[in-house]
This record gives sequence, C-alpha cells and structure tokens, in this order.
Amino acid sequence: MIDALISVESSNVARVGYDNDAQTLHVEFKNGNAYQYFDVPRHIFEGILNAGSAGQYLNQVIKGSFRYARV
Amino acid sequence: MPSDPTYLGTVEDVQGATIRVVLDERTVSGLTFIHGRGYRIGQVGSFVRIPLGFTDLFGIVSQVGASAVPEKLAATQPHGNRWMTIQLVGEGLHQGDFRRGLSQYPTVSDTVHLLTEGDLAKIYGRQDRPNFVKVGHLASAESIPSLIDVDRLVTRHSAVVGNTGAGKSTTVAGLLASLSEKERFPSARILILDIHGEYAKALDDRATVFRVNPSAERGERPLYIPYWAMTFEELLPLTLGLLPDAERGAVLEKISALKSFALLNQTRKGVTGDNLTVDSPVPFSIHRLWFDMHKLVNATHNVAGSGQHAGSIQYLKDESGIDVERGDPLDVRPPTFKPATQSAGVEKIFLSGSSLNIRRPLESLASRLRDPRFDFLFRPGKWTPSAEGHTELDLDELLEGWLGGENPITILDLSGIPSSILTDLVGVLLRVIYDALFWGRNLPEGGRERPLLLVLEEAHAYLSHGDKGPAASAVRRIVKEGRKYGIGAMIVSQRPAEIDTTILSQCGTIFAMRLANSTDRSHVKGAVSDNLEGLFDMLPILRTGEAIIVGEAVHLPIRTLIDPPAANRRPDSTDPLIYDEFGAGGWDRQRAKSDYGELVAVWRKQMPRSENIVEIKEKSKHSKP
Repeated sequence: MIDALISVESSNVARVGYDNDAQTLHVEFKNGNAYQYFDVPRHIFEGILNAGSAGQYLNQVIKGSFRYARV
Repeated sequence: MPSDPTYLGTVEDVQGATIRVVLDERTVSGLTFIHGRGYRIGQVGSFVRIPLGFTDLFGIVSQVGASAVPEKLAATQPHGNRWMTIQLVGEGLHQGDFRRGLSQYPTVSDTVHLLTEGDLAKIYGRQDRPNFVKVGHLASAESIPSLIDVDRLVTRHSAVVGNTGAGKSTTVAGLLASLSEKERFPSARILILDIHGEYAKALDDRATVFRVNPSAERGERPLYIPYWAMTFEELLPLTLGLLPDAERGAVLEKISALKSFALLNQTRKGVTGDNLTVDSPVPFSIHRLWFDMHKLVNATHNVAGSGQHAGSIQYLKDESGIDVERGDPLDVRPPTFKPATQSAGVEKIFLSGSSLNIRRPLESLASRLRDPRFDFLFRPGKWTPSAEGHTELDLDELLEGWLGGENPITILDLSGIPSSILTDLVGVLLRVIYDALFWGRNLPEGGRERPLLLVLEEAHAYLSHGDKGPAASAVRRIVKEGRKYGIGAMIVSQRPAEIDTTILSQCGTIFAMRLANSTDRSHVKGAVSDNLEGLFDMLPILRTGEAIIVGEAVHLPIRTLIDPPAANRRPDSTDPLIYDEFGAGGWDRQRAKSDYGELVAVWRKQMPRSENIVEIKEKSKHSKP
C-alpha cells in the first residue's frame, strides 16, 4: 500500500510514490498513464525525488532496468 | 459589391428540398469578413439562410461548382462553376425558434445568405434549456456549443459509428460522462455491455463494474447470469444443443417438473403452480436435470423395460457390498452401474428401457457443468440452486445490482466470456433486462419511470445481417418497442454495414465519425432521415474526434468536435505507439526485462492487471489540485 503520491518537478512525470514493503515504485505521468516498477531499491526512489528532472532520471536509471506493469 | 456582406447569390432551381443557387458575380469568392470575423464562402457542409418574408429557411451546402449546374444548363454553361446545391433542412422565424421541416419553399431569385456566428448561435445555442447537454462545439465555430437533447437521445435510440481510431470510444465515454453528471441527473441509469473491457477505467468514479473474474481491490463485482432466468429456447443452445422433438419434449417436461418441485421448497412471489411455465424465471437445478436424465438413459436395472423404476437401478458394488459410486449432481459425478448381462437368469441385468437418444448431449452438458469458464452461468454464486432448487438470493438482488446500484453507470464487462456463447448470452442479458423493465413499467424501478440507456459496444459482433440469433432479435425488439417502455439503445460499431438495417434505421440519432469504407458509408446514409448526402460525403475526411450528428437529438445536423474527456478518463482503447519521438514508443525504447510467467499468469486469470501492482491509499482521482 502506498500512502501518498509526491509531486515532482518534470515535464512529463506528475507524481511518484513508493511502497517500502513491496519495493514498488509508482510513477504517474502527466498524460494520465501510471506505471509501477517492481523491485526498485529505495535509494533509487530517493534519487528520483532529488533529481533535477524526474523524467530524465526515469529514462536513464529506471526504464529498461526494472520490470514494470501499467496500472 | 452588394451592400449586405452575407449575400451569396440567388435561387435558380427548386426541386423538393434540393435547391440550386447561382453565386452572384459580385460576391467575392473565398473569404468574406462580417463583424470582423472571416467566413469562407461555399464550404461544403456550411449553412445558408434564405429569408422569405418573416421566416428564414435554412439549408446545408452539399455541392459546389461545375457538377452543381443543373443538367439542362450544363451544355450552355460549360464553365458555370458558380453554382451550389443546397439541401433545405428547416426554418425559423426572425426572432423565434428554429424548427425542422418546411412550411414553404423558396422560389426563383430569392436571395441566399451566409450564416454568421450570431445566426448559428441562435439555431444551436440553447444552453438555457435543461434537457440539453453539451457534447462539444461546432467544428466551424469554437464558441458555439453542440447541444444534444437528452430525451430524444435516450428514448429514440442512437448509433455511434466510425472507423477504429476515429474516436468512437472516447466519444461514448465523453457522452456518458455528461449524461451521468450526478448533480444534473442523480437518477441516470446507464448499462454498458463492454465486450473488450475498455470503459472501466474511463468511468471508474461513477460506474459499477461486473466481471466474470472480478478484481476485489478495484471494487469490481462478480458477473453472474443465472441459467434458470432464461427461457427454454435460450437455455437449450447453451446446454444440450439442438434436440429432436421427442428428446426436446422430455427435457422440457423434466425442467417444468424441476421448477414446480423447486417452487414447493421455496415459494416465489408472483408465481404459483398454476401460472408456472417452463419459461418462468424460477430456479431449478440444472445439475439435477443432468443427473436424473443421465440415470434415466444410462442406469441398468434388474427388470426389463416398462417395469423399471428408481428402486430397480443396479449400482455397481465392490467386494464388501458397498456401492462403488452413487454419483453426485452438484459435483457432476455420474454414478457407476452394473454392466448389463446377456445371459438369462435371476441375476440378469437389463439396459435402461428409455428410448431417448440423448446420451451425447448429456455428456457435453456435463463437461460444460464442470468447465470453470461456465461457472458464471451454471454456478452463479448465491444464485446457484441446490439440488432441490433452493437459492440463497433471488433475481431481485441480481437486477438491483445491474439496474439499481448506487452508481449511475453499470458496466457488464463481457471480456472473460467464452466467445462461442457470447451472442447467446448477450441475447439473454438483453432479454432479461427488457422483460424486467417491460413488466415493471408502472413501478418506480421500471423503464417508464426511470428509463435505461443500454450501450451496446462493438455491436457488429452480435448484430450481423440476417442474424436470427437471440442477441439480434433482442436488440430488434428494443429498438422497435423499447421507446414505449423507457429502454433506449446506443449502438456503437466500426462496421455499420454489418449491422442489420432494421436496427440501424431505428436509431433516431446518428453520430457518424470518420468512415472510409464506402459500403459502411452508404449504409449510414441510408439510415438517416434527412436528405443529407452531401454532408455524409464528408465522412472519410473527418478529423479524429469529429462527428456529424444527425437526427432527433439535434435541431440541425451538426458537424461537431466532441469534447474529449480528461486524459486519465479515456477508455483503454488508444493506439499503442510504435515510434515515439520522445523515446517511449513500443519499438524504439530499450528492451525491458521480460517475465513471460507473469504474462501467462494474467492470461490464465483472464485479468489484465498484474498481481504485483500495489494499491495507493490516496487515489489520484479524488485529490483536487
């Protein structure tokens, strides 16, 4: 269960959330689509929060490295 | 230069509602400016006004140029390219309302004028009337809303047709969203038969979803269609298949007997032993039917032919003298009988004396009863009758779930239903709903008091031409008679040509979106009452999300751009991207890790949502920015 979603600074990512127990990263895009990435370590979630551009960080670090499913 | 900038030309030829106009030589071709706004002259699909004393006639330009020249003049005016053909559609008093139909015709040399935005607003803009909802705005003028008469839309039926990708589902989702506004229509009642499971996402804050394999965390409810609510004719193809007369009669008798037996165990309001028929929606156990019929034709007896009765059945016994298997109806387990013997004597075992040739249909029924994919039909949760025909819940709870839920929209997601029985099942669903609302027409739950809008998505799948199937006949009945009993249909299809003409022609309002195929187009053209060929010739070149709305729900045919719902409220039917310049397309991105195990898991579950997805407490749709 993810308690709340956090808005981030980005041109295409709207909000993100993280489930500590399941190690699942939830990403909501500005176009309304949402994806969940599985088995993502917590430091990567923190990385996306601290990144200058969440979208760029997502493209470089997360996409292609973690398994995902569309919500 | 004429003094009135809206002046186009004069009427030269009148043939019924088709008139031919010659553009005035002094009229500037191309663009003209009225009150600072630019208008294009002679656009196909644009409106013109013909003032006749105190009334104005209105028409649509359907043809411009050389081919609009009347035949007799074509020889003398080979270059007569300043002609327009206009279809008259209605009239209006100078200050009054616009009306469909004509009380008088124009005549030669009446003047023809361009319609300004102010005139258009007068015709279309009636936002003050409460029975109109806004679905978009005119394609030609962004400031003028496209309004639709809800009364006519629901009770006179409608059809939404267009190619895949023309924006059908989005249009339907947008329409339903405005029809189910809780403040405006707190008692709206809409039922969607969703074959592909597209609408749940788009309408999730105002719809209850019924699915064969429901996901509890999304609040979906199980879809059950109790077999015993069907008529005998409907039940037979789903269970035993077509039977010869003698067998059919035997099954009919058996079902009647089981129903009246069940009625003794549990009384049902409104039905007594006297008015009970084989078609009455009264529970009976189909497992019992199978079990008893199986025993009737397969059991062996110790007496021959006519002397056989239940007590003479010979079950196979093991060494200790206990029956090997007595069978069980609800588990669909057949009993084991002693094998028949040929030699004469006291121990001779006879085959069943029954002459019914029904063994094979019974076997296929047994395999269906065991098949978990058919559980929604044969083991419908709390509506499953016990062997005695006792059920925990009755039809009222089922109908209340579908028609009387707290949400205005109910989605029956049929995506998990075996395609071999889809047509039969849609027919049954529609018939059950129709019957319930028809007989309940004088009650507050009935169709006259609280009308129902039935949305039939991908209707060509079960309404094909000359289809005698139960779905087609149910829809035919709804479109022909549903109006009187408050049942309106909205038929959504990408192949209008495959839909029965009777059904399409009964749709009072048509939303025609982009249609490239000429057969489809001529089918739609044939179904509209107005003589609007010219307007419908535009169908192949409509933009995505643009529709021509004709018929009862609109004053005039409107070419409109439908307001799309917000991005997160669109149905799950948008095209996947192969290439996306921002690097998120399906083929131009990095390969993701694959796990086909998960794919098989969701396939087996028949539930596209991954099990790994975690829920979010604060749902995004509830938060206000």
